[in-house]
Amino acid sequence: MGRLRRSRVHKGIRDIQRKYRTKRYMRDIDQIHGDIQPENAHKFEKPELDPELPGQGQFYCIPCAKHYINKESLEEHQKGKIHKKRVKLLKDAPYSQAEADAAAGLQKADTKPKKKEVAMDTAEA
Amino acid sequence: MRLEKCYFCSSTCYPGHGTMFVRNDSKTFRFCRSKCHKNFKMKRNPRKVRWTKAFRKAAGKEMTIDSTFQFEKRRNIPVRYDRDLMATTIKALKRSQEIKAKRERVFYKNRMSGNKLRQKTENQALVQKHIHMVDTPAIKNLPQVQKVAAKNKLMDVDMS
Repeated sequence: MGRLRRSRVHKGIRDIQRKYRTKRYMRDIDQIHGDIQPENAHKFEKPELDPELPGQGQFYCIPCAKHYINKESLEEHQKGKIHKKRVKLLKDAPYSQAEADAAAGLQKADTKPKKKEVAMDTAEA
Repeated sequence: MRLEKCYFCSSTCYPGHGTMFVRNDSKTFRFCRSKCHKNFKMKRNPRKVRWTKAFRKAAGKEMTIDSTFQFEKRRNIPVRYDRDLMATTIKALKRSQEIKAKRERVFYKNRMSGNKLRQKTENQALVQKHIHMVDTPAIKNLPQVQKVAAKNKLMDVDMS
């Protein structure tokens, strides 16, 4: 690895390093998938006023996990390609550790059946 | 000792290897190596990355439904140590692995079964398409080849 090779592996790109910091961590797609479920809708109905967020946290796009400064810009965003892409992405089930395990050939854990436990307790008593 | 599976590529994470990421909702993600961790940080979907196990299973490249998969499980119920049980378990393990390997071979064979015929027809089509380029007298004198050659000659004249 020479001088040029070292400089060309995108190692020192400051913006990219900053983008992937945990400080900048955005909500993951599986979390958002939970957010868009109808049983979680009440969490986003009446947002509290937060002075630190854009638009005081009143204009939130749930699929994109992003705050907007006003109603107009939120609606403008919802018309756009990025938002529609995200909505489409959220249509299929999110990837999970269970799927990773299944792909490796590991089945679901078998746990103690609860009914048996109760029966044992009564037998002891 | 608990051997976890990598969140991204589904390979085994041995103790002392890889990294674990704990998200702010206390969900943990284990990665077998930095390659998997980096790909996770890039928010890639393992189902769409071709080198992961999840992709291979989802795309039908590997056997997914089989009774031999039901043996490998995380056992949360402790079993009292029994020497005979241990011996039979190891014996059964070997046997089930044998069966699994055999079925996987069959699956692979089935998956690849149509390939030879397809390749052959493709090759034949290619030769037919460019038959005028074959430089053998027997083929050169064929009427369809001469037709193409004449057409090409005309085109050359047009060009100049």
